[in-house]
Amino acid sequence: MTSSVSLPTEPPRDLRFRRRLRIGTSLVELWRARELVRSMAEREMRARYKQTVLGFAWAVVIPVVYMVVFTVFFRRVANVNTRGVPYALFTYVGLLPWTFFSSSLSLGGTSLLTNLSILNKVYCPREIFPFASVSVAAIDTTVATGVLGVLFAVTTFMPKATIVWVPVLLAVQVAFTLGVVLLFSSIIVYVRDLRHLLPIALQLGLFATPVAYGLEAIPSRWQWLYALLNPLGPVIDGYRRTVLFGQAPDMLLLGLSALTATVLLVAGYAAFKRLETGIADVA
Amino acid sequence: MSPDGTVAAKQVWKRFRPDRRRVRLSDQLAILTSRIRGEARLPWTWALRDVSFALSPGESLGLMGANGCGKSTLLKILTRVMYPYAGGVDAVGRVGALIEVTAGLHTELSGRENIFLYGSLLGLSRREVTRRFDDIIAFAELEQAVDRQVKHYSSGMKMRLGFGVAAFLEPDVLLVDEVLAVGDASFQQRCLARMREVLAQGTTLVYVSHDLPTIEATCARGVWMERGVIRLDGPVRDVLSEYRRSVEAGAELQLRDDGDLRVVKVGVSGEGDRLPHTKEPLTASIVIEAARDMQGRLFLGVTEGPGTPVLLVSRDVHFDEGKTSVQCRIEELPLPRGRFYLWMGVFGKRADLPWGPAAEFDVVGPDLETAPRGIVRLAPVYAEAKWEQGRPESL
Repeated sequence: MTSSVSLPTEPPRDLRFRRRLRIGTSLVELWRARELVRSMAEREMRARYKQTVLGFAWAVVIPVVYMVVFTVFFRRVANVNTRGVPYALFTYVGLLPWTFFSSSLSLGGTSLLTNLSILNKVYCPREIFPFASVSVAAIDTTVATGVLGVLFAVTTFMPKATIVWVPVLLAVQVAFTLGVVLLFSSIIVYVRDLRHLLPIALQLGLFATPVAYGLEAIPSRWQWLYALLNPLGPVIDGYRRTVLFGQAPDMLLLGLSALTATVLLVAGYAAFKRLETGIADVA
Repeated sequence: MSPDGTVAAKQVWKRFRPDRRRVRLSDQLAILTSRIRGEARLPWTWALRDVSFALSPGESLGLMGANGCGKSTLLKILTRVMYPYAGGVDAVGRVGALIEVTAGLHTELSGRENIFLYGSLLGLSRREVTRRFDDIIAFAELEQAVDRQVKHYSSGMKMRLGFGVAAFLEPDVLLVDEVLAVGDASFQQRCLARMREVLAQGTTLVYVSHDLPTIEATCARGVWMERGVIRLDGPVRDVLSEYRRSVEAGAELQLRDDGDLRVVKVGVSGEGDRLPHTKEPLTASIVIEAARDMQGRLFLGVTEGPGTPVLLVSRDVHFDEGKTSVQCRIEELPLPRGRFYLWMGVFGKRADLPWGPAAEFDVVGPDLETAPRGIVRLAPVYAEAKWEQGRPESL
């Protein structure tokens, strides 16, 4: 048997717990938990669409409503140059990546908060919650992409062969979205005000991004700065160029976008891993 | 690398700040301005201080201590839900934690969907859950309700579902925090039996509870924590008896003497002023002083420390103003060797002496049989047993 002796009031400095950032081990752990990401995403999907009449159709309704609203009103107010592409198609191609980003952020940004009861009791890699939310948004967006096929058929407009660029654009888009979601979801646990700021920020973001209008609306000498600040701009512009206009993406702007997206992804993940150590303390 | 099932805490420190208001902007500003002025912030309180222990695979540890002594914080750090401020923990192999088992359940989903989800949350693959599915359902007795949404479950059903999944996950290390508080008696028994099975398979167990008999029944080693520090670490029976003794000593301070009744003297003795012996008479002599004439029922209880008696006797007593002497004789003391406590209280319309410890005494006699692991003995009552053995027809 051992009995305690008198203790110092503080632990010695060299004993302090320091969270070491091991991206490699974290990624391995995340890969092992991929089934859990799937389960969480499935749970979110089922819970979301259970007891709703439209069910999965809700994934389509939101972007389609925006498309109709923009087509009816925006086109008349602002004179958007769509280079001969039907406006509905033009804006819907922009709406898809935006909807993915927006629902990723509104689901994923609060994912740690909504799952606090689990975080507090059960250990699992915490990234699974934002990742699951982004997966849900990805599934929704995939479903919504089906409408694009209908639009092509109705307008008898054909996508161009440069569509092969899409995976590159997709990579930048997903990297940027993940980075923002990781950063946001971990900070929001500590600064809960952000939760109320989020819906407004997303509303404004819709108009700060070339969804209803083209990238040409930004003065060309500032476009490089815009690409750095809002990587979605050049991505959406890239989708339009490759799918609708038959051009290659603007490489300089897309490169700047990719730069921001990569920095955000790395920084966001690092911040997430640092901040997750305190989640159970403030919850 | 240590083998699976090894658990170690090395000089773990954890602190919390008492104010939880720093989430708001105005509080942040207040903290900022006081910092600029050089004022001291609210002090940190230590939840754990320099906690160290090591468990080898298959060991079972019972954690006991008063509320707020750091038991649950320690468990959360072992599960990696929380991170220590200093020091480190190591739990090798698959760690299963039963901390509020219903936490992982999602109410919108059915029982079946939840079993898969919760299973994967605890580290099982889909195939493994499928393999154990029927066992889980049978254990939780949810055959009828498995496809119903969990929000329509009773709280007992939710608990059974949660424990069922966790109990069949076969971890290398199992951490259990006070999960048996809910659920009916038969389910508690099955949970304990399941914990015993898991232990027999070589799982390392850390069990936190206020229910001391179940700790004694389940664990071989005990750790008693007090205000974030390990007070005692050793064989479970030794630690438990020390802990019970301290609970009694703490309770003694609470005995108030400002009422109308005051205990003047209490003595416990066996036959002829010897120590009390097993199966022999025990006499409790009490002198009580009353402020006025009153009537009440006097209760005497023998306990192991806490206020829950092993045996209880009572009698109506009339107290005259001044001192009254009461003697109580128990003819055949059914207690084994050990230290016990006499608690007493008077309950009546106008007479009131709160239930509290009055004396401690040692009993001389045979030791109690040691219960096999997993069997809870509620009270240490000694009974003489005569055994016969033979073929059915010869008896």
